Parts: sequence; C-alpha cells; structure tokens
Amino acid sequence: MPVETANLAPVDETITLRDLHFDPYPIYRRLRAEAPVMRVKAAGRTFLTKAADTKFVKDTPEIFSSNDPNTPMKPAFQAHTLMRKDGAEHMAERMAMAPALMPKTIQEVWQPLYRDLVGQYLDRLPRGEVVDLHKELSAPIAARILAHILGIPEASDEQMIFWSQALIDGAGNFGWEPGPFAVSDHANLEMNALLEKAVERVRANPDRSALSVMVNAENPIPMSQIVANIKIAIGGGINEPRDALSTIVFGLLTEPEQLAETRRTGKWGAAFEEGVRWVAPIQASSRLVTEDVEIRGCLIPKGDTVMTIQASANHDEDLFEHPERFDVFRAKNPHQAFGSGPHHCAGTHVARRTVGAVMLGMLFERFPGMTLPDPSVVEWRGFGFRGPINLPVVLN
Amino acid sequence: MKITYIAADGTETEVNAREGDSVMQAAIANDIDGIIGECGGSMMCATCHCYVDDAWVEKTGPQHDGESDMLDCAASEVKPTSRLSCQIKLTEELDGLVVHLPEAQI
Repeated sequence: MPVETANLAPVDETITLRDLHFDPYPIYRRLRAEAPVMRVKAAGRTFLTKAADTKFVKDTPEIFSSNDPNTPMKPAFQAHTLMRKDGAEHMAERMAMAPALMPKTIQEVWQPLYRDLVGQYLDRLPRGEVVDLHKELSAPIAARILAHILGIPEASDEQMIFWSQALIDGAGNFGWEPGPFAVSDHANLEMNALLEKAVERVRANPDRSALSVMVNAENPIPMSQIVANIKIAIGGGINEPRDALSTIVFGLLTEPEQLAETRRTGKWGAAFEEGVRWVAPIQASSRLVTEDVEIRGCLIPKGDTVMTIQASANHDEDLFEHPERFDVFRAKNPHQAFGSGPHHCAGTHVARRTVGAVMLGMLFERFPGMTLPDPSVVEWRGFGFRGPINLPVVLN
Repeated sequence: MKITYIAADGTETEVNAREGDSVMQAAIANDIDGIIGECGGSMMCATCHCYVDDAWVEKTGPQHDGESDMLDCAASEVKPTSRLSCQIKLTEELDGLVVHLPEAQI
C-alpha cells in the first residue's frame, strides 16, 4: 500500500464521551456515512466504524496488537493479563482455561446446572407487581453461573458483581484517578483470599471448572496467570450476559409479533444473536498500531491506537437492512458482537448455550404474560460496554 | 479454481475461488450459508467446520496443530473427515475440491 502518500484521518472535536455514553448510535451512523476512519479527540483514539475495517483490524494482530501493558488494566487487575497479550503467550494462557468453556463441558456440566439455577432464580421473582428484571434476574444469574464455571461457587452473587464492576471501572480508569484503583485493590484483596482457598479445594477435589483445569493441568501456567485469568473472566463474564439478556428481553417485549413468532418456532437462538447484534454488550475495543498502515485512504501511523467499534459494525448498512431495528428473523446476521481473530470471545459458547439456549425459553415459558408497561423508562448507558440499566417488567 | 460446497440438505453450490484463500474465506466471499467463520480464521470459534469429501481427504492433508482441540468445540458431530475450513489453504492441486457442510455451526 502506498502509505507514504496517504493523509492522516480527519479529526473530530465535537463528539464527547458523554454523547457516546448516552446514545452513540446516531454518531456512528454519521461516521459510517461521512468519515468511517475518524480521529476522535475526546477519546484520543482513531475510530473505525465500518464492519470490514473492524474485522480487518481484529484479524490482523501482526499490525494491530493487543499488547499494551501501559493501560489502566494492569493496576486494576494487578497483572498483565491475556487480554493485553499477543501470539503464543496469549494462546497458552487462553487455552489453559478452554476445557471449562468448550461445548462438550457446557452441555454435560454447565447447562444442566444453569437450568436448575434459572429455575431457582425465577421462583424468587414476585408476580403481578413491577420488578426490575435487570437487577433481580439478569445480573445475579450471570454472576451465579459464572462463579460455578470458574470454580469459585463460594463467592456470593453480590461479591461477584462488586468485583466485576470494580475491575471494569479500574480498567477503564484512563484518567488514572486514585479512587477506582482503591476500589479495585480492595476487590483484588478479597478475590485473592478466596482464590487461595479455592485452589486448595480443587487440588484436593478436581472438577471441570476453569480454576480446576488450570490448577490441575499437566503443565500448568504460572499461578499468577491462573489468578489473572480468573479475574479477567470475572471482569468480563457478568456484564455481557447480563446486558445481553436484558437487551433481548426488551427487544422481544417491544416487538410482540416477533415474540409470538419466536415462541411458536422456538428460535430463541436467533433472538439471542439479534439482541447482541442490536446492542452489542461490548461495543468497542482498542488495538495498538505497530506499523504504518492505510485504511480507506487514511494513514494510520505506527504508535496510534485504533478503536474498533463493533457496535457500529453491527449496524453497518453494507451488511444489515434496517440495522437500527431489533429483528429476530433476519436472513443473515454476520455480527461481530463476539469480536474476531485470536481474541474472539472465549465465553461465546457459554453465552449461546446458557442465555440463548436455556434462559430465554424458560423465562417466557414461566411468565407468558410478562409485560413492559412503559418501555420509555428503560435507560441505556455505555460507550465501552452497553445495555439497559433497568428493566421494569410485570410478571404473569 | 472451483470448490463445491454440499449443504446438510444436499444442496450443491459450486463457486470460483482464489488460490491462496482458505476454504472458509472462499465460502464467505461467495455467500455460502452454513459456514460462518466468526473468528476470521484464528482457530478460535469452530464455526467453519466442514467434512472433506472422502475423495479429497488425502489431498487436504491432516489437521493442523490445535485444530482438533478447537474441533471439539464444533456444534455438529465431529468425524474423521472433519476440518476447520479456515485451515485448508487452496492450492492448485485442490482445484475441484468438494466439502460437505454440517447441520449447524453454532
């Protein structure tokens, strides 16, 4: 590519992080149409908003590296984690945990357990009054199944949710303020104490949890990375299934004809895929540019940080008709909600086989008369991670 | 060069493919239903699973390092002829290749 002749991408000084936090989709629509490669000053990143470009970046780790030890992720997790590594090192740490997350294990162990847990959590929900499904179901069930999969069932839902948010807030603390790191330090202390005991337990009684398969592996990765992997999974394994579930339920309740058809055909898997396309729980990711490269005629210089906006890729008019609409019955749905490339979401199979294959069917079977009395009170938030922050339904 | 994809319901689609691409990439480029290739060829998702036609198994060769681990993650039955289509690079001698697609990829 004739990189030396290309111009730098245009700069936008009008977009604010606040705008992106509240409603990024109109901004992304404009960027896709006018400037799909744009340096957004408020974020200090080059935004890529077209599906072909986000996929190219994720699929080309030789140029677009995850290895950036100088982000707030390191102090937040007290470790240089696999999320921020490339190549063989990333692969070794990722594959160490993989047996606990593969479909065979999910089908044999986690799906039956999840079904029981969902039954219990649905039992506690009150009928006939307004209940915040996001807070009362989406979050705690995500925490509970994750605690089991990771091998730390002794952690309470509240602990899991607190740790997860503390890690996320710390990792997103690009202002390097002391407050969020103080909270994540506290969470790390609690997690470390619990993990120390859990490691002894799985050594004595191996099971199929992530902690157990890592600890009891023939050639285990260092304990520091085992602990880091568990923390990454805590930080990255609650908000996404939580937000996916709330988003899909919102979509189905506001599209009653689609809900009826999904119920009739049992296509809960398609509803799941559409929900994560429509409002991707993980909206954006960063990659460090390791050599000068050209995208759509714009020079992206070495040392730059690009942001792939999966949220926007999933609304790209090149791939999706009426992208802004929740539509379970799309003929094709090549979304990038789980990313692409070597860092393709390790929890993909779990998410599809729990939220998609079990939860949705059970929820609507238990409460066929569920309503969302006022969709306009549902608030959506988030730039990096996004979803509803409340979902007041009435169950019947 | 030509590749034929045979869907689980028996539908055959012959496409023109570029040498050097993978069988997964050729499927995506030609809009073949039944190959998703969600991770883009990094052996991370098992959504480009295919069964190499018996007549072609020798030419496509054995599974690559790590491929069988990821095939354990495939949604449909894994057979001796199972491959991740992202790991089959198209060379001249694969002109005319026939692969069969599984019932489901996710």
